[in-house]
Amino acid sequence: MIIALPHISSAEGFLSEDLLREYVDLLVRLVEAAGALIIFVGAVIATVRFVQAAAHKRTEQRFTRIRLGLGRYLALGLEFQLASDILSTAIAPSFEEIGKLAAIAAIRTALNYFLNKEIAEEREEVERDRAEQA
Amino acid sequence: MTDLLQAGAAVCAALGLVSAVAVLVRGRDLRLGACVLLDFLTAAGLLRLAADPGWRDVAAAAALVLARLVLR
Repeated sequence: MIIALPHISSAEGFLSEDLLREYVDLLVRLVEAAGALIIFVGAVIATVRFVQAAAHKRTEQRFTRIRLGLGRYLALGLEFQLASDILSTAIAPSFEEIGKLAAIAAIRTALNYFLNKEIAEEREEVERDRAEQA
Repeated sequence: MTDLLQAGAAVCAALGLVSAVAVLVRGRDLRLGACVLLDFLTAAGLLRLAADPGWRDVAAAAALVLARLVLR
């Protein structure tokens, strides 16, 4: 006896490889765009703050703080972009694309590591300054 | 989206020039100015990496990250 299971064929249609590839591709683009937007907004904010600081004759320390503020935006944007790299591994079709993805992920991971290190060092410095002033 | 990201990268590089000049004029510190410019160029490189990059873009981004690390 043959039992028809219509829900299975519709599920196959819903989860077909091509469709899944499309969903993941859309997600990759969205997450990547979010990371790019964060980086761009950070760059605009940092420029405004650099020009303001220059106009108000601020010190070198102030410029370094603004730089690290930009670093924070870069680190946050990178987190999103690394997430999109992980998603991309699910749909990278050719060996060359996988190689490129690995290179990009390595660059982003290295930059993220050094940015977080710089931010942690700056935080320690600020806390040390505060302790000295108190 | 690729065109938009490429345009964003170009704007980022231009903003970097403005910021580096502002720091140089006020702070008179060449190293800090170069670091600021490199930060913005790195941001531009990251935007370019999000825009379907070729191997040249990947190599450029790696070089920028390396230069940023050396100058730090």
